[in-house]
Amino acid sequence: MMQQGKSSSSGSEMQVTWEDQQNINTFSRLNNRFHELEDDIKLAKEKCDNLEDAGNELILSDEEMVRFQIGEVFAHMPREEVETKIEEMKEATFKSLENLQHEKESIVSQMAELKKVLYAKFKDSINLEED
Amino acid sequence: MSSSSPSGSGGDLSERRGIPAAKFIQDVETYLSQSSLDSNSALAFHQERLQQYKVVEMKLLAQQRDLQAKIPDIEKCLEVVGTLEARKGTGETLLADFEVSEGIYSRACIEDTDSVCLWLGANVMLEYSCEEATALLKNNLENAKASLEVLVADLQFLRDQVTVTQVTIARIYNYDVQQRRVKQVAPTAITAADS
Repeated sequence: MMQQGKSSSSGSEMQVTWEDQQNINTFSRLNNRFHELEDDIKLAKEKCDNLEDAGNELILSDEEMVRFQIGEVFAHMPREEVETKIEEMKEATFKSLENLQHEKESIVSQMAELKKVLYAKFKDSINLEED
Repeated sequence: MSSSSPSGSGGDLSERRGIPAAKFIQDVETYLSQSSLDSNSALAFHQERLQQYKVVEMKLLAQQRDLQAKIPDIEKCLEVVGTLEARKGTGETLLADFEVSEGIYSRACIEDTDSVCLWLGANVMLEYSCEEATALLKNNLENAKASLEVLVADLQFLRDQVTVTQVTIARIYNYDVQQRRVKQVAPTAITAADS
């Protein structure tokens, strides 16, 4: 993400203030959080899809007793109960996915701001792109 | 247990739970003359510091992975106990299919019951009433989540110190390059003046 600012050709006398250092630290934290969020969003999307598929399968099947996984075991439950549970899980996962995506958008804009500030001061001496 | 003595610039912690903070250098030249180090020794010192930070980071990341695996486990247990509690009044037997071995499942009839057994680890399993079990599991969950929060804060602090050290190394290196360039120019200027 950030390579050591090797100012080879310019050899510029780049002074780094404490404020600059804090900006760099913040950018690093945001970038880490961004990657974590991307992974979490991927998992949440998969879970949403799985629940969707499960719901559809349930509608198609005509069994009265469905085996619903709780923890490590599959409990026999009446169909309506399972339907309700799946709906609840879908809502919870969807809400969590929305929150994650909001957080990600906020982080992306914060990172863009910091990039502007840091590139303005350091120009070529700093690299803030993904490697 | 973190000491709160400020490290001069920014009034931050000088260490956190055993991890020393990387002191921010205002000016490279002043730093080198004050510590009477030449560029190479300073670079070596900071490189070593960076390695030490990396070692601690690996350890913390491993702890974080463990905790992140433990939390869903506890949540699953809570769900099971919750389901049993919900069934308590009805008197129905719960039929459950569970894994005996890979690919082999067996059926269990779980009668109406007031107690559950919890595996506490170290080959110990204790019987609890449903309420006690829920309370215990909730407590464990809270502790795990709190530990995870502290761990994440530690990691953030550590990563900040790593970034500060990396920037310091770059600045000392650049300063060194600049000094060499100045030294190269100066003798040539003198010889030109002499001849």
